[in-house]
Amino acid sequence: MENLKIPVDLVAPVFAPQTFGSREKIQEIFTTLRRDYPLSIAEVPGYDPHWIVTKYEDIREITRQDELFLSADRSKTLASQYAEKMMRDYTGGLPHIFRTLVHMDEPEHMDYRNVTAGQFMPQMIKALEPKVRVMARKYADKLAAMAPECDFAWDLAFYYPLEVVMNVIGIPEEDHAKMLRLTQWLFTYADPDLKRPGSDPTDPGEIIKTWDIVYAEFKEYYDKVIADRRGCPRDDVASLVANGKVRGCPMEDRAMISYFAILSSAGHDTTSATTATSMWKLAEDPALLKRLQDDPKLIAGFVEESIRWASPVQQFVRSAKEDYVLRGRQIKKGDLLYLSYISGNRDEDAFENPQVFDPARSPNRHIGFGYGSHICLGQHLARLEMKCFWEEVIPRLKSLEMAGEGSMAESEFVCGPKHVPIRFEMTA
Amino acid sequence: MSREAPFQVWQCQTCGELYDEALGLPEAGIPPGTRFADLPDDWYCPACGTPKSDFVLYEA
Repeated sequence: MENLKIPVDLVAPVFAPQTFGSREKIQEIFTTLRRDYPLSIAEVPGYDPHWIVTKYEDIREITRQDELFLSADRSKTLASQYAEKMMRDYTGGLPHIFRTLVHMDEPEHMDYRNVTAGQFMPQMIKALEPKVRVMARKYADKLAAMAPECDFAWDLAFYYPLEVVMNVIGIPEEDHAKMLRLTQWLFTYADPDLKRPGSDPTDPGEIIKTWDIVYAEFKEYYDKVIADRRGCPRDDVASLVANGKVRGCPMEDRAMISYFAILSSAGHDTTSATTATSMWKLAEDPALLKRLQDDPKLIAGFVEESIRWASPVQQFVRSAKEDYVLRGRQIKKGDLLYLSYISGNRDEDAFENPQVFDPARSPNRHIGFGYGSHICLGQHLARLEMKCFWEEVIPRLKSLEMAGEGSMAESEFVCGPKHVPIRFEMTA
Repeated sequence: MSREAPFQVWQCQTCGELYDEALGLPEAGIPPGTRFADLPDDWYCPACGTPKSDFVLYEA
Protein backbone atom coordinates (compact mmCIF):
# COMPACT_ATOMS: atom_id res chain seq x y z
CA MET A 1 0.00 0.00 0.00
CA GLU A 2 1.29 3.45 -0.91
CA ASN A 3 2.59 5.96 1.56
CA LEU A 4 2.22 3.70 4.57
CA LYS A 5 5.00 5.47 6.43
CA ILE A 6 5.39 9.22 6.68
CA PRO A 7 8.92 10.54 6.09
CA VAL A 8 10.34 11.36 9.49
CA ASP A 9 11.48 14.83 8.48
CA LEU A 10 7.91 15.68 7.46
CA VAL A 11 6.16 14.43 10.57
CA ALA A 12 8.73 14.93 13.35
CA PRO A 13 7.87 18.63 13.75
CA VAL A 14 4.32 17.58 14.69
CA PHE A 15 5.84 15.96 17.79
CA ALA A 16 7.64 19.17 18.87
CA PRO A 17 5.90 21.92 20.89
CA GLN A 18 7.88 24.64 19.13
CA THR A 19 6.29 23.87 15.77
CA PHE A 20 2.88 24.86 17.10
CA GLY A 21 4.20 28.37 17.71
CA SER A 22 3.59 28.90 14.01
CA ARG A 23 0.00 28.25 12.96
CA GLU A 24 0.99 28.56 9.31
CA LYS A 25 3.73 25.95 9.66
CA ILE A 26 1.58 23.40 11.44
CA GLN A 27 -1.32 23.88 9.05
CA GLU A 28 1.05 23.50 6.11
CA ILE A 29 2.30 20.17 7.47
CA PHE A 30 -1.19 18.84 8.06
CA THR A 31 -2.37 20.00 4.64
CA THR A 32 0.44 17.90 3.16
CA LEU A 33 -0.36 14.96 5.39
CA ARG A 34 -4.08 15.03 4.49
CA ARG A 35 -3.17 15.04 0.82
CA ASP A 36 -0.32 12.52 0.75
CA TYR A 37 -0.53 10.59 4.01
CA PRO A 38 -4.14 10.85 5.24
CA LEU A 39 -3.76 7.79 7.46
CA SER A 40 -0.15 6.70 7.71
CA ILE A 41 2.41 5.76 10.31
CA ALA A 42 4.87 8.11 11.99
CA GLU A 43 8.02 6.49 13.31
CA VAL A 44 9.69 9.32 15.17
CA PRO A 45 12.75 8.35 17.21
CA GLY A 46 11.99 8.10 20.91
CA TYR A 47 8.29 7.47 20.33
CA ASP A 48 6.30 4.33 19.68
CA PRO A 49 4.88 4.29 16.13
CA HIS A 50 1.65 6.27 15.79
CA TRP A 51 -0.96 6.26 13.06
CA ILE A 52 -1.46 9.95 12.27
CA VAL A 53 -5.19 10.38 11.73
CA THR A 54 -5.74 13.58 9.73
CA LYS A 55 -9.20 13.16 8.22
CA TYR A 56 -12.38 14.44 9.84
CA GLU A 57 -14.46 11.34 9.17
CA ASP A 58 -11.72 9.01 10.42
CA ILE A 59 -11.46 10.95 13.68
CA ARG A 60 -15.24 10.73 14.09
CA GLU A 61 -15.27 7.01 13.27
CA ILE A 62 -12.64 6.35 15.92
CA THR A 63 -13.99 8.57 18.66
CA ARG A 64 -17.55 7.33 18.50
CA GLN A 65 -16.29 3.80 19.18
CA ASP A 66 -14.82 4.07 22.66
CA GLU A 67 -15.15 0.33 23.13
CA LEU A 68 -12.69 -0.24 20.26
CA PHE A 69 -10.35 2.73 20.64
CA LEU A 70 -9.23 3.04 24.23
CA SER A 71 -8.33 6.07 26.32
CA ALA A 72 -7.07 4.53 29.55
CA ASP A 73 -4.36 2.01 28.79
CA ARG A 74 -1.79 4.34 27.18
CA SER A 75 -0.94 8.01 27.47
CA LYS A 76 -3.98 9.93 26.18
CA THR A 77 -1.75 12.64 24.78
CA LEU A 78 1.39 12.35 22.74
CA ALA A 79 4.19 11.06 24.97
CA SER A 80 7.64 9.75 24.27
CA GLN A 81 8.61 6.28 25.44
CA TYR A 82 10.70 7.96 28.12
CA ALA A 83 7.83 10.18 29.28
CA GLU A 84 5.36 7.30 29.43
CA LYS A 85 7.82 5.23 31.47
CA MET A 86 8.23 8.17 33.84
CA MET A 87 4.48 8.42 34.28
CA ARG A 88 4.26 4.73 35.14
CA ASP A 89 7.16 5.11 37.58
CA TYR A 90 5.60 8.17 39.24
CA THR A 91 2.13 6.67 39.59
CA GLY A 92 2.85 3.05 40.33
CA GLY A 93 1.92 1.85 36.88
CA LEU A 94 -0.56 4.33 35.36
CA PRO A 95 0.17 5.75 31.91
CA HIS A 96 -1.13 9.16 33.08
CA ILE A 97 -0.32 11.66 35.79
CA PHE A 98 -3.88 12.93 35.70
CA ARG A 99 -6.78 10.48 35.64
CA THR A 100 -9.50 12.76 34.31
CA LEU A 101 -12.65 11.90 32.36
CA VAL A 102 -10.46 12.16 29.27
CA HIS A 103 -8.30 9.29 30.51
CA MET A 104 -11.10 6.83 31.28
CA ASP A 105 -12.83 4.09 29.31
CA GLU A 106 -16.41 2.94 29.59
CA PRO A 107 -18.24 2.26 31.78
CA GLU A 108 -16.07 4.14 34.28
CA HIS A 109 -15.94 7.25 32.10
CA MET A 110 -19.70 7.70 31.97
CA ASP A 111 -20.06 6.92 35.68
CA TYR A 112 -17.69 9.78 36.48
CA ARG A 113 -19.04 12.09 33.80
CA ASN A 114 -22.57 11.72 35.12
CA VAL A 115 -21.53 13.19 38.47
CA THR A 116 -21.62 16.64 36.85
CA ALA A 117 -23.08 16.08 33.37
CA GLY A 118 -26.52 17.37 34.30
CA GLN A 119 -25.05 20.73 35.31
CA PHE A 120 -23.54 21.22 31.87
CA MET A 121 -26.54 20.35 29.70
CA PRO A 122 -27.73 23.28 27.54
CA GLN A 123 -30.87 23.94 29.57
CA MET A 124 -28.82 24.32 32.77
CA ILE A 125 -26.20 26.50 31.09
CA LYS A 126 -28.92 28.74 29.68
CA ALA A 127 -29.94 29.54 33.25
CA LEU A 128 -26.45 30.91 33.86
CA GLU A 129 -26.74 33.49 31.11
CA PRO A 130 -27.66 36.47 33.33
CA LYS A 131 -24.56 35.92 35.51
CA VAL A 132 -22.29 35.30 32.53
CA ARG A 133 -23.69 38.39 30.82
CA VAL A 134 -22.73 40.52 33.83
CA MET A 135 -19.18 39.19 33.70
CA ALA A 136 -19.01 39.68 29.93
CA ARG A 137 -20.09 43.29 30.33
CA LYS A 138 -17.51 43.81 33.07
CA TYR A 139 -14.74 42.53 30.81
CA ALA A 140 -16.03 44.58 27.88
CA ASP A 141 -15.72 47.62 30.13
CA LYS A 142 -12.21 46.54 31.14
CA LEU A 143 -11.30 46.27 27.49
CA ALA A 144 -12.69 49.73 26.77
CA ALA A 145 -10.65 51.12 29.64
CA MET A 146 -7.47 49.72 28.08
CA ALA A 147 -7.92 51.60 24.78
CA PRO A 148 -6.14 52.60 22.64
CA GLU A 149 -3.85 49.55 22.92
CA CYS A 150 -3.57 46.30 24.79
CA ASP A 151 -2.35 42.76 24.46
CA PHE A 152 -5.77 41.17 24.21
CA ALA A 153 -4.56 37.64 25.03
CA TRP A 154 -2.42 38.57 28.00
CA ASP A 155 -4.54 41.40 29.38
CA LEU A 156 -8.03 40.00 28.92
CA ALA A 157 -8.58 36.64 27.17
CA PHE A 158 -6.68 34.70 29.83
CA TYR A 159 -8.88 36.16 32.57
CA TYR A 160 -12.50 36.33 31.42
CA PRO A 161 -13.16 32.58 30.91
CA LEU A 162 -11.08 31.93 34.04
CA GLU A 163 -13.40 34.08 36.14
CA VAL A 164 -16.55 32.51 34.68
CA VAL A 165 -15.37 28.94 35.21
CA MET A 166 -13.92 29.53 38.66
CA ASN A 167 -17.23 31.02 39.74
CA VAL A 168 -19.08 27.97 38.43
CA ILE A 169 -16.71 25.65 40.30
CA GLY A 170 -16.85 27.81 43.41
CA ILE A 171 -13.26 29.02 43.72
CA PRO A 172 -12.72 32.41 45.42
CA GLU A 173 -11.27 35.25 43.39
CA GLU A 174 -8.03 35.38 45.35
CA ASP A 175 -7.14 31.91 44.04
CA HIS A 176 -7.92 32.51 40.35
CA ALA A 177 -4.36 33.60 39.55
CA LYS A 178 -3.00 30.38 41.02
CA MET A 179 -5.36 28.35 38.83
CA LEU A 180 -4.24 30.26 35.75
CA ARG A 181 -0.59 29.71 36.61
CA LEU A 182 -1.05 25.95 37.11
CA THR A 183 -3.01 25.74 33.85
CA GLN A 184 -0.25 27.43 31.91
CA TRP A 185 2.42 25.22 33.42
CA LEU A 186 0.32 22.17 32.58
CA PHE A 187 -0.58 22.97 28.98
CA THR A 188 2.40 25.06 27.91
CA TYR A 189 5.22 23.41 29.82
CA ALA A 190 7.64 24.14 26.95
CA ASP A 191 6.65 27.72 26.10
CA PRO A 192 9.35 30.19 27.19
CA ASP A 193 6.77 32.77 28.34
CA LEU A 194 4.29 30.46 30.04
CA LYS A 195 6.23 27.52 31.41
CA ARG A 196 6.92 26.73 35.04
CA PRO A 197 9.77 28.91 36.34
CA GLY A 198 12.92 26.85 36.64
CA SER A 199 11.74 24.15 34.28
CA ASP A 200 13.98 22.88 31.50
CA PRO A 201 12.09 22.04 28.28
CA THR A 202 15.27 20.52 26.82
CA ASP A 203 14.98 17.77 29.43
CA PRO A 204 12.97 14.93 27.82
CA GLY A 205 11.35 14.27 31.18
CA GLU A 206 10.36 17.89 31.83
CA ILE A 207 6.77 17.45 30.72
CA ILE A 208 6.21 14.72 33.29
CA LYS A 209 8.13 16.50 36.03
CA THR A 210 5.98 19.58 35.48
CA TRP A 211 2.74 17.61 35.31
CA ASP A 212 3.61 15.81 38.54
CA ILE A 213 4.31 19.13 40.26
CA VAL A 214 1.07 20.59 38.92
CA TYR A 215 -0.84 17.52 40.10
CA ALA A 216 0.67 17.88 43.57
CA GLU A 217 -0.28 21.58 43.68
CA PHE A 218 -3.85 20.84 42.61
CA LYS A 219 -4.04 18.06 45.20
CA GLU A 220 -2.79 20.29 48.00
CA TYR A 221 -5.33 22.95 47.04
CA TYR A 222 -8.32 20.75 46.31
CA ASP A 223 -7.94 18.42 49.30
CA LYS A 224 -8.96 21.45 51.39
CA VAL A 225 -11.82 22.32 49.03
CA ILE A 226 -13.07 18.73 49.14
CA ALA A 227 -13.01 18.67 52.93
CA ASP A 228 -14.83 22.01 53.03
CA ARG A 229 -17.57 20.99 50.59
CA ARG A 230 -18.07 17.64 52.27
CA GLY A 231 -18.59 19.42 55.56
CA CYS A 232 -20.69 22.22 54.13
CA PRO A 233 -22.01 21.63 50.61
CA ARG A 234 -22.89 24.72 48.59
CA ASP A 235 -24.59 25.42 45.29
CA ASP A 236 -21.47 24.94 43.19
CA VAL A 237 -19.75 22.33 41.06
CA ALA A 238 -17.03 21.81 43.69
CA SER A 239 -19.71 20.48 46.03
CA LEU A 240 -21.02 18.14 43.34
CA VAL A 241 -17.58 16.67 42.69
CA ALA A 242 -16.52 16.51 46.34
CA ASN A 243 -19.68 14.65 47.27
CA GLY A 244 -20.01 12.75 44.01
CA LYS A 245 -20.53 9.02 44.18
CA VAL A 246 -19.57 6.51 41.56
CA ARG A 247 -21.62 3.34 41.81
CA GLY A 248 -22.40 4.26 45.38
CA CYS A 249 -18.79 4.84 46.41
CA PRO A 250 -16.65 7.98 46.75
CA MET A 251 -14.46 8.74 43.76
CA GLU A 252 -10.98 7.27 43.67
CA ASP A 253 -8.55 9.92 44.99
CA ARG A 254 -6.47 10.54 41.86
CA ALA A 255 -9.63 10.64 39.77
CA MET A 256 -11.26 13.19 42.06
CA ILE A 257 -8.25 15.51 42.14
CA SER A 258 -7.99 15.12 38.37
CA TYR A 259 -11.69 15.96 38.01
CA PHE A 260 -10.99 19.27 39.71
CA ALA A 261 -7.80 19.74 37.72
CA ILE A 262 -9.50 19.40 34.35
CA LEU A 263 -12.35 21.71 35.37
CA SER A 264 -9.78 24.23 36.60
CA SER A 265 -7.59 24.10 33.49
CA ALA A 266 -9.28 22.91 30.31
CA GLY A 267 -12.45 24.54 31.58
CA HIS A 268 -11.10 27.99 30.77
CA ASP A 269 -7.85 27.71 28.81
CA THR A 270 -9.49 26.43 25.62
CA THR A 271 -12.07 29.21 25.74
CA SER A 272 -9.33 31.78 26.30
CA ALA A 273 -7.49 30.43 23.28
CA THR A 274 -10.59 30.63 21.13
CA THR A 275 -11.52 34.12 22.35
CA ALA A 276 -8.02 35.38 21.59
CA THR A 277 -8.18 33.75 18.16
CA SER A 278 -11.48 35.51 17.49
CA MET A 279 -9.99 38.89 18.31
CA TRP A 280 -6.96 38.17 16.14
CA LYS A 281 -9.27 37.39 13.21
CA LEU A 282 -11.34 40.52 13.79
CA ALA A 283 -8.26 42.72 14.01
CA GLU A 284 -6.95 41.39 10.74
CA ASP A 285 -10.23 41.61 8.89
CA PRO A 286 -12.16 44.91 9.12
CA ALA A 287 -14.82 43.52 6.76
CA LEU A 288 -15.54 40.72 9.21
CA LEU A 289 -16.03 43.20 12.05
CA LYS A 290 -18.35 45.34 9.94
CA ARG A 291 -20.31 42.27 8.85
CA LEU A 292 -20.89 41.27 12.49
CA GLN A 293 -21.79 44.82 13.49
CA ASP A 294 -24.27 45.04 10.63
CA ASP A 295 -25.79 41.66 11.46
CA PRO A 296 -25.27 40.74 15.14
CA LYS A 297 -27.24 37.53 14.61
CA LEU A 298 -24.06 36.23 13.02
CA ILE A 299 -22.20 36.37 16.34
CA ALA A 300 -23.24 32.84 17.32
CA GLY A 301 -21.86 31.60 14.00
CA PHE A 302 -18.75 33.71 14.52
CA VAL A 303 -18.17 31.92 17.81
CA GLU A 304 -18.71 28.51 16.22
CA GLU A 305 -16.35 29.26 13.36
CA SER A 306 -13.78 30.59 15.83
CA ILE A 307 -13.86 27.24 17.61
CA ARG A 308 -13.29 25.39 14.34
CA TRP A 309 -10.54 27.82 13.40
CA ALA A 310 -8.75 27.80 16.77
CA SER A 311 -9.13 24.08 17.56
CA PRO A 312 -7.25 24.63 20.83
CA VAL A 313 -6.91 20.92 21.61
CA GLN A 314 -4.40 19.75 19.03
CA GLN A 315 -4.47 16.03 19.63
CA PHE A 316 -5.50 13.04 21.65
CA VAL A 317 -4.15 9.53 21.32
CA ARG A 318 -6.17 6.31 21.34
CA SER A 319 -5.02 2.69 21.32
CA ALA A 320 -6.77 -0.01 19.31
CA LYS A 321 -8.37 -2.69 21.45
CA GLU A 322 -8.53 -5.06 18.52
CA ASP A 323 -7.72 -5.24 14.83
CA TYR A 324 -9.72 -2.76 12.76
CA VAL A 325 -9.77 -1.65 9.14
CA LEU A 326 -9.89 2.12 8.65
CA ARG A 327 -9.59 3.87 5.30
CA GLY A 328 -8.37 0.55 3.88
CA ARG A 329 -5.54 0.41 6.39
CA GLN A 330 -5.13 -2.53 8.74
CA ILE A 331 -4.94 -1.16 12.27
CA LYS A 332 -3.60 -3.85 14.59
CA LYS A 333 -4.55 -4.48 18.20
CA GLY A 334 -2.42 -2.24 20.43
CA ASP A 335 -1.60 0.29 17.72
CA LEU A 336 -1.56 3.96 18.75
CA LEU A 337 -3.61 6.51 16.81
CA TYR A 338 -2.81 10.24 17.00
CA LEU A 339 -6.02 12.17 16.30
CA SER A 340 -5.32 15.63 14.90
CA TYR A 341 -8.29 17.86 15.59
CA ILE A 342 -6.74 20.88 13.92
CA SER A 343 -6.32 18.79 10.80
CA GLY A 344 -9.84 17.37 10.91
CA ASN A 345 -11.25 20.86 11.28
CA ARG A 346 -9.53 21.98 8.08
CA ASP A 347 -10.33 18.82 6.11
CA GLU A 348 -11.20 19.69 2.50
CA ASP A 349 -13.55 16.68 2.31
CA ALA A 350 -15.56 17.77 5.33
CA PHE A 351 -15.76 21.56 4.97
CA GLU A 352 -16.34 23.71 1.94
CA ASN A 353 -13.47 26.18 1.61
CA PRO A 354 -12.00 25.06 4.94
CA GLN A 355 -9.27 27.73 4.83
CA VAL A 356 -11.90 30.48 4.72
CA PHE A 357 -13.17 31.89 8.02
CA ASP A 358 -16.93 32.13 7.51
CA PRO A 359 -19.23 33.11 10.40
CA ALA A 360 -22.21 32.05 8.28
CA ARG A 361 -20.91 28.48 7.80
CA SER A 362 -23.88 26.15 8.21
CA PRO A 363 -23.91 23.44 9.25
CA ASN A 364 -20.64 23.77 11.11
CA ARG A 365 -20.14 20.32 12.56
CA HIS A 366 -16.54 20.91 13.59
CA ILE A 367 -14.76 18.66 16.06
CA GLY A 368 -13.24 21.46 18.11
CA PHE A 369 -14.94 20.05 21.20
CA GLY A 370 -14.12 16.49 20.21
CA TYR A 371 -16.66 13.85 19.30
CA GLY A 372 -18.10 10.71 20.84
CA SER A 373 -18.87 10.18 24.50
CA HIS A 374 -15.74 12.14 25.49
CA ILE A 375 -17.03 15.30 23.81
CA CYS A 376 -16.23 18.36 25.92
CA LEU A 377 -18.47 18.53 28.96
CA GLY A 378 -18.21 22.32 29.10
CA GLN A 379 -18.93 23.05 25.46
CA HIS A 380 -22.22 24.86 26.07
CA LEU A 381 -20.73 27.02 28.80
CA ALA A 382 -17.83 27.92 26.51
CA ARG A 383 -20.24 28.93 23.73
CA LEU A 384 -22.30 31.02 26.14
CA GLU A 385 -19.22 32.82 27.50
CA MET A 386 -17.99 33.72 24.05
CA LYS A 387 -21.39 34.70 22.66
CA CYS A 388 -22.09 37.02 25.62
CA PHE A 389 -18.63 38.56 25.41
CA TRP A 390 -18.75 39.31 21.70
CA GLU A 391 -22.31 40.59 21.91
CA GLU A 392 -21.04 43.10 24.47
CA VAL A 393 -17.83 44.02 22.65
CA ILE A 394 -18.53 44.00 18.92
CA PRO A 395 -21.20 46.74 18.90
CA ARG A 396 -18.86 49.01 20.89
CA LEU A 397 -15.79 48.64 18.67
CA LYS A 398 -15.31 51.80 16.63
CA SER A 399 -11.98 50.76 15.18
CA LEU A 400 -9.67 47.78 15.49
CA GLU A 401 -6.35 46.68 14.06
CA MET A 402 -3.32 44.66 15.03
CA ALA A 403 -0.69 46.76 16.80
CA GLY A 404 2.14 44.29 16.19
CA GLU A 405 2.77 40.64 15.55
CA GLY A 406 0.55 38.14 17.32
CA SER A 407 2.13 34.96 18.59
CA MET A 408 1.02 31.47 19.50
CA ALA A 409 1.99 29.48 22.55
CA GLU A 410 4.37 26.63 21.88
CA SER A 411 2.41 23.52 22.77
CA GLU A 412 1.69 20.30 20.96
CA PHE A 413 -1.34 19.66 23.20
CA VAL A 414 -3.49 22.69 24.11
CA CYS A 415 -2.44 25.68 22.09
CA GLY A 416 -3.71 29.19 21.50
CA PRO A 417 -2.49 32.76 21.08
CA LYS A 418 -0.34 34.12 23.88
CA HIS A 419 0.04 37.62 22.45
CA VAL A 420 -2.57 39.52 20.42
CA PRO A 421 -1.51 43.17 20.42
CA ILE A 422 -4.36 45.37 19.24
CA ARG A 423 -5.00 49.06 18.66
CA PHE A 424 -8.65 49.98 19.04
CA GLU A 425 -11.35 52.46 19.96
CA MET A 426 -14.52 51.59 21.85
CA THR A 427 -17.55 53.50 22.95
CA ALA A 428 -17.66 54.05 26.70
CA MET B 1 -47.79 6.75 16.94
CA SER B 2 -50.66 8.81 15.61
CA ARG B 3 -49.69 11.12 12.78
CA GLU B 4 -51.80 13.79 14.49
CA ALA B 5 -49.75 13.70 17.67
CA PRO B 6 -47.81 16.88 18.37
CA PHE B 7 -44.21 16.90 17.28
CA GLN B 8 -41.75 16.12 20.02
CA VAL B 9 -38.19 17.10 20.77
CA TRP B 10 -35.56 14.54 21.77
CA GLN B 11 -32.26 15.19 23.50
CA CYS B 12 -28.90 13.45 23.35
CA GLN B 13 -27.89 12.51 26.88
CA THR B 14 -24.21 12.86 26.08
CA CYS B 15 -23.96 16.30 24.51
CA GLY B 16 -27.40 17.86 24.83
CA GLU B 17 -28.07 18.06 21.09
CA LEU B 18 -31.77 18.34 20.28
CA TYR B 19 -33.64 16.50 17.57
CA ASP B 20 -36.85 18.39 16.84
CA GLU B 21 -39.32 16.28 14.86
CA ALA B 22 -40.89 19.41 13.39
CA LEU B 23 -37.56 20.54 11.93
CA GLY B 24 -36.05 17.17 11.01
CA LEU B 25 -32.40 17.36 10.05
CA PRO B 26 -32.23 18.64 6.46
CA GLU B 27 -28.39 18.73 6.53
CA ALA B 28 -28.51 14.93 6.82
CA GLY B 29 -31.40 14.47 4.39
CA ILE B 30 -34.03 14.01 7.11
CA PRO B 31 -37.04 16.14 6.14
CA PRO B 32 -39.11 18.26 8.56
CA GLY B 33 -41.84 16.26 10.20
CA THR B 34 -39.82 13.07 10.57
CA ARG B 35 -40.72 11.36 13.81
CA PHE B 36 -37.89 10.25 16.05
CA ALA B 37 -39.30 6.73 15.99
CA ASP B 38 -39.00 6.72 12.21
CA LEU B 39 -35.25 7.44 12.25
CA PRO B 40 -33.25 4.31 11.45
CA ASP B 41 -32.05 2.29 14.44
CA ASP B 42 -28.42 2.92 13.47
CA TRP B 43 -28.94 6.70 13.38
CA TYR B 44 -26.66 8.56 15.78
CA CYS B 45 -26.34 12.04 17.20
CA PRO B 46 -25.05 14.40 14.50
CA ALA B 47 -23.09 16.37 17.09
CA CYS B 48 -21.33 13.62 19.03
CA GLY B 49 -22.11 10.20 17.54
CA THR B 50 -24.10 8.91 20.51
CA PRO B 51 -26.51 6.12 19.47
CA LYS B 52 -30.19 6.87 18.94
CA SER B 53 -31.00 4.71 21.96
CA ASP B 54 -29.36 7.28 24.25
CA PHE B 55 -31.76 10.08 23.31
CA VAL B 56 -34.58 10.90 25.72
CA LEU B 57 -37.69 13.00 25.40
CA TYR B 58 -36.73 16.62 26.04
CA GLU B 59 -38.43 18.67 28.69
CA ALA B 60 -37.37 22.29 28.50
